[in-house]
Amino acid sequence: MGYVAIKGGGVAIKGSLEALETLRAAEGEQGVPLSLSAIENQLRLLTSRIVSEGGLYHPRLAALAIKQMQGDTLEAAFALRAYRSTKPRLMSTPVQETRRMRVIRRISSAFKDIPGGQMLGPTYDYALRLMRIDLADESPEVFREIAAKFMADTPGDALPETYPKVVEALRKDGLLPEAPAHDIEPFDITREPLIFPIPRSAVLSSMARAETGSLLALAYSNMRGYGDIHPTIAELRVGYLPVYLPHPVTGEEIEAGEVLITECEVVAMYENSDNKSKPVFTLGYGACFGHNETKAISMAVLDRALQKGMKEGPTNPSEDPEFVVLHVDGVDSMGFANHYKMPHYVTFQSDMDRLRTTQAKAEQKRGNKK
Amino acid sequence: MTHYESYPRRDWPRLLLALPPQKVMEAARELTERCLVDDQALPQSGLALLQLRDGALAEPYFIGEIPLSRAHVTVVDDKGEKGEGAAQILDDRASLARAMAILDAVLANKLNGSENIEILLEEGARRLLRDEASRSVILKRTRVDFSLLDATGEDNEI
Repeated sequence: MGYVAIKGGGVAIKGSLEALETLRAAEGEQGVPLSLSAIENQLRLLTSRIVSEGGLYHPRLAALAIKQMQGDTLEAAFALRAYRSTKPRLMSTPVQETRRMRVIRRISSAFKDIPGGQMLGPTYDYALRLMRIDLADESPEVFREIAAKFMADTPGDALPETYPKVVEALRKDGLLPEAPAHDIEPFDITREPLIFPIPRSAVLSSMARAETGSLLALAYSNMRGYGDIHPTIAELRVGYLPVYLPHPVTGEEIEAGEVLITECEVVAMYENSDNKSKPVFTLGYGACFGHNETKAISMAVLDRALQKGMKEGPTNPSEDPEFVVLHVDGVDSMGFANHYKMPHYVTFQSDMDRLRTTQAKAEQKRGNKK
Repeated sequence: MTHYESYPRRDWPRLLLALPPQKVMEAARELTERCLVDDQALPQSGLALLQLRDGALAEPYFIGEIPLSRAHVTVVDDKGEKGEGAAQILDDRASLARAMAILDAVLANKLNGSENIEILLEEGARRLLRDEASRSVILKRTRVDFSLLDATGEDNEI
């Protein structure tokens, strides 16, 4: 079989895009286009995944990407990343402190009596995993009343918006190492190549925009036995982080807007004392844009595993920064997997030529033996 | 009605961002009809790297990017009074940042027309209160009661 140039690829590609669009509108006359607001609100956890994996907190554009890519999370994150690459970088913000987060959910599995109390917030943790058949045919009237009903008849004074961090209480009790604030310039993974060894800030940034399932898989390997982190969640919080920027005229700190994030700190087993200081627990940290608890917990477990690997040398994959960081990015890994769909006619032709030559030689050997 | 001076300048962007953007743009457009607006820098729209401090080792890192628009203007009102204003907001509309910079200039320098912006701040504050109340309800309705069953005397709080 020879290698020949073909024509008509452009027409086929155009047709395939039209076929995609046709399937998006396959409901026909009964169909109503999805509104971005409906995606952003009713599929808020999906939108959360895209803002974090796309690395850009823009829920409306994330909703658009979900609509455009017909629900494919990897493609939607890719589209958001492509968009961000077209925009100019105006600044990097001053360091924001997450203790200022306006929480809507805050739990600890380490203590029940955390300062400020535990609030379950919106969670499926205690929901039955049974199909709610009533949602299959939901009336718009009932749907619109849900929020109003929830808000009505709630007695008592308003609760505070912000709460102290649980790890700070543990530090005060001398159970965690002191953590004086560092002012080192963090690594920018969007501008600098990853040349190992990389600083922890590069690892945190890479994991913050990693694909949720990839992070979970590697963290799960550690939890199951390919590692020994044994985490306890000191605090898992979800809320809106106000972003403070200097006023361009006065220099005064002003709130420029807020960002929904999920943050998790896990306490891991204490390290052996070097006889100079007392033994203390160790910590792992995870955070990402949007509401994505599985991702934040997985990231925190991996952060602790990687701290250990960087200090003592990796003993399993989840402790190896190169292994973890280079395999958790959804856009990278999806791109590599899908590039195999592209024509490899020449390389495969070469493979076939080699095989046929080898087959011929083998045939010849067998003939000689006879 | 609360006087706008009860809201410090640092709160104005948050109050204005609570309003529908069209309302802010319209207010700025009305002001520009009787004021002279001079851009000190070209209004820009782009991204900012969001830097957080991690909760374990207190190290700074970048969690990702956020949309950012900014504008810096000088406004001269119909009485010849002049003032400077600016805005940096988490939004990708430079036109909205410019509108907020105009309102910032007029209000901070008490230029002619500032009373209309006071009304906007009040409305923004009301909307913010509503949002805060809805978040507070989520916390209140989902707060875990860890008191012992004997102490509460109720059997539906398990």
